[in-house]
Amino acid sequence: MERNEQRRIVEALVLASPEPISAARLGKIVPEGTDALVRELVGELNENYGKQDSAFEIWEVAGGFQIRTRAEFSGYLQQLQKQRPLRLSQAALETLSIVAYKQPATRAEVEAVRGVEVGAVVKTLMERQLVRMVGRRDVPGRPMLYGTTRRFLEIFGLESVKDLPRLKELEELAREQGLAGADPEEAGDSDEEDSGQESTAGVEGEGDGASAAPIEPSA
Amino acid sequence: MSESDWEAGEGSAGGSTGAPGGLSDGEFAATGIPAYAVKLPVFEGPLDLLLHLIRQNDVEIAEIPVAEIGAQYLSYLELMQTLNLDIAGEYLVMAATLALIKSRMLLPPAPGEEEEEVDPRAELVARLLEYQRFKEAAGELERRRRLGRDVFEARGAEPEGPVEADREIEVGLFELIEAFKDILNRESEGPSIHEVDVEIVTVYERMQAVMAILESRETVEFMSIFGDDSGLVPARRMLVATFLAVLELVKVSACTVYQGTNADGRPEGPIRLRLRTDGADPSWQSLVAEDV
Repeated sequence: MERNEQRRIVEALVLASPEPISAARLGKIVPEGTDALVRELVGELNENYGKQDSAFEIWEVAGGFQIRTRAEFSGYLQQLQKQRPLRLSQAALETLSIVAYKQPATRAEVEAVRGVEVGAVVKTLMERQLVRMVGRRDVPGRPMLYGTTRRFLEIFGLESVKDLPRLKELEELAREQGLAGADPEEAGDSDEEDSGQESTAGVEGEGDGASAAPIEPSA
Repeated sequence: MSESDWEAGEGSAGGSTGAPGGLSDGEFAATGIPAYAVKLPVFEGPLDLLLHLIRQNDVEIAEIPVAEIGAQYLSYLELMQTLNLDIAGEYLVMAATLALIKSRMLLPPAPGEEEEEVDPRAELVARLLEYQRFKEAAGELERRRRLGRDVFEARGAEPEGPVEADREIEVGLFELIEAFKDILNRESEGPSIHEVDVEIVTVYERMQAVMAILESRETVEFMSIFGDDSGLVPARRMLVATFLAVLELVKVSACTVYQGTNADGRPEGPIRLRLRTDGADPSWQSLVAEDV
């Protein structure tokens, strides 16, 4: 089958899928398709959208591809919505970040970082389907463990939690912005925070701070 | 900060003031807490306040001048009290910690211990640095292009049939009973049938009937298994037997009861039954007690 036709099939499937559709699934449906080919085709589609100055592009979120409008149209699209966009307070964002990086994490671990109680915030985050219980830690008291949801990845345009910027990179960012920071090596148990996200280095493509999601045309 | 969307009580005095509306005036009077309590709008806790003071003093976190920052910290707490803001216990614990560190730093090093002396600030510095990292991570999260706010997805309609597993929720007993109540109501609204013969239906028969449907179709709408092809409203005992059959089938893991969710994760659409194929033993009959 011609590549052009395969690309159009991918486009149609991504457009009409009710949720992000994985490369593997696309590869199975597209005639003579493979994961790798699908990724290339999505890259080509995005390249075309860019050239055509299209109002949308394909993102890779929560393990699948999804067509999303470009951010410049947010004002118009918000008027189309029945609900107001999800707003998150500073407390919620901090708590969510700690859960995202440290997961699975207990409430006590989150509170140790923030220095305040987080029970109410965690509850609200759970109601918003951003955080969920993922089990219990096998220590006395068997405290509940929390982690982020697939919804969290969708909302924040992340492919997986490994897609989050590394904490050390954030420190550098903070230093650049002139915030008082110190040598990361002095930050105590920094090894622990970095566990589970070793593979994130070097995935950043664009430089606009929210670069992870829309995938680049493949080389 | 969007106070309206999130519960108060965070960063203020924990449980005692979380929701003033939840406590009666009497309770406030009894505890002596003024009924007017405001969440401190700027700081998300003692660490956040300390970071602010450190920045204001233009010093490095690692070099935190505990005496000065501690004094400023205390005067801030006093200001909060003056403004009748509620001071959380965590703020007071931090004040005590600062006082302790300050006193340790004033102590001359014990003779012979100079070499392995630890900076009394070390633990606090580590906490501040860690908190700052996550504050930055939160800022990064906030700056991301967010679905439903900055970007919007093209989304096809949900296909018919079973929903993908992560978009559905298991239905609990109460939802099921709720749904069954609707069915019973529907029955009482239907044309009344003059019943002469009492048809004996057993739960076991209904289990077999439901399983026969599931084995041919895999999923079925919960509501639809209560009718039959006659067009007549089934007898109440038939409905009850069918309902019990569903409960029994769920109990022996022959099927699951689920419901789809909408974009917000709230349950939406009809409750459905699905044949369980993940179980090791497909012969559900063997699991059913004889006396059903």
